[in-house]
Amino acid sequence: MGLIDIAFILLSAVAVISGWRVFVTDSMVRASFLLLLSFVAVALIILLMAAPYIGVATIFMMAVEMMVMALFMVMFMMNPAGLNPMMMVHQNRFAIGAGVVAFAGLSLAALATDFVDNRVDPAKRVVHDLGIELLGPSMLTFETAGVTLLATMVGAVVLSARSGRFGASDEGSLPPGLEPGGEPAGRKPEESGGHHHHHHMHG
Amino acid sequence: MTQMLAILILLLFLTAGIAAAAMLDRAIPALVAGRPMKSSLSAPFAVAAAMAIAPKSDTEHPDRVGWVLAPILYFTLAAVGLSVVPLSPRLVAAPSEVGIVLWGACEALTVVAVFLHGWSANAPLPLMGAYRYVAIGLPAMLLSMFVLIGAALPAQSLGLVEIVESQRDVWNVVRQPAGLVLFLMLGLSVSLRGPFDYADPYDLAGGTQAEVSGAARLSWRLARLAMLVSVSAMTATVFLGGYLGPVLPGFVWLALKSALVLVALVAAGNWFARMPPARMMSFLWLALLPLSFLMLAAVGVELLLWG
Repeated sequence: MGLIDIAFILLSAVAVISGWRVFVTDSMVRASFLLLLSFVAVALIILLMAAPYIGVATIFMMAVEMMVMALFMVMFMMNPAGLNPMMMVHQNRFAIGAGVVAFAGLSLAALATDFVDNRVDPAKRVVHDLGIELLGPSMLTFETAGVTLLATMVGAVVLSARSGRFGASDEGSLPPGLEPGGEPAGRKPEESGGHHHHHHMHG
Repeated sequence: MTQMLAILILLLFLTAGIAAAAMLDRAIPALVAGRPMKSSLSAPFAVAAAMAIAPKSDTEHPDRVGWVLAPILYFTLAAVGLSVVPLSPRLVAAPSEVGIVLWGACEALTVVAVFLHGWSANAPLPLMGAYRYVAIGLPAMLLSMFVLIGAALPAQSLGLVEIVESQRDVWNVVRQPAGLVLFLMLGLSVSLRGPFDYADPYDLAGGTQAEVSGAARLSWRLARLAMLVSVSAMTATVFLGGYLGPVLPGFVWLALKSALVLVALVAAGNWFARMPPARMMSFLWLALLPLSFLMLAAVGVELLLWG
């Protein structure tokens, strides 16, 4: 067993264990960063497979992606700071079923595939060739996917931002009460007629 | 063998750079204010020693793993980023054909390290620093990617040796002066400094380090300085021709140019005021990011016409 085999086994263990911890931890920020750790381990395995650009770019993109994901999840889910313990799993039965099917399918694919075993020639310009491929024959695919994703992200932010194009998005809405059935939390919406009713919730 | 030599030189470079940066941090404000600068030579060491033996403070329910790991991660990223900087065409600690992408990954993970440092403390001020930094640090980091691609275009390579070699005739600072300015801003952002210090500013009582004391605070400060040294070396390599220069050996030229960038960064950090976070965010997205696109397009047109 060579050094590369040992590195592969260690990195796979990190990827699998941190991937499992994502679902056991009780905080969104921790879950995001554990997922990041899992992706970084996979990216390092890609590096071992002599694909330097894809490996390093995976680390780069996952770092940005998981950071943004953590930030937005905390922002949109009203969990201050993501430090409040919360349940990270839902739809358990369906998830277990999907997990078993995915595991069986992927294992079957891995066992049935006849993996090629040819070493990459160190003199081969893999990054150059990848660049030619990405910006040559596959350019239309990549650009279409990229622009679509960008438009989706911008659209999602526009729709969810408070200062959307149709005015303040929370206009007329009430935040949930601090206790079940209690007074709405936060600032009271102002009356338009100039009357000062302070308590609307008699009931 | 040459790789070991490169690693040794870089370790020396990093240590000397951290010490020099700590001294400059005191000397430059003193110089501007006309105060004597003599104490700036020894004061950083005295402060570091005092910090190292100071008692440790604690908060309620911090994320211990994250809190301990954040400074280590930050320092490691500085060291990894520095490792791809070539000292001569053959003297590289970590030869990589995708050097600038690796540096980009270090920048991206820096945002994660800083956020983790502030978030793990489970206290208001560090958390505010962490969130502010993500909002400002991410667009600043995106911007630097376009700047680096602009520098990679004339070299037709993502490797740093090729980028330095492409500057034999004319340095990138002449070709893309705007790129250098934008990259210096990134330098201030990744080392949490002056106008881009949204993570550890005074108005948040030290931000992410507000609740940290003792050796943990010292390690965070060292990591910040290490990142400053690292980004200085990267700027010198990408824009000032790196190891290129007559007579003296390559790594001496690199050290001299990095020192120049270091002084410029420390001075800029002390000189410029910090904008409110919301205004800085608009400035980054609406002014600097389009500027970096324009710059990249200009480099492309230049290479098509005269390349």
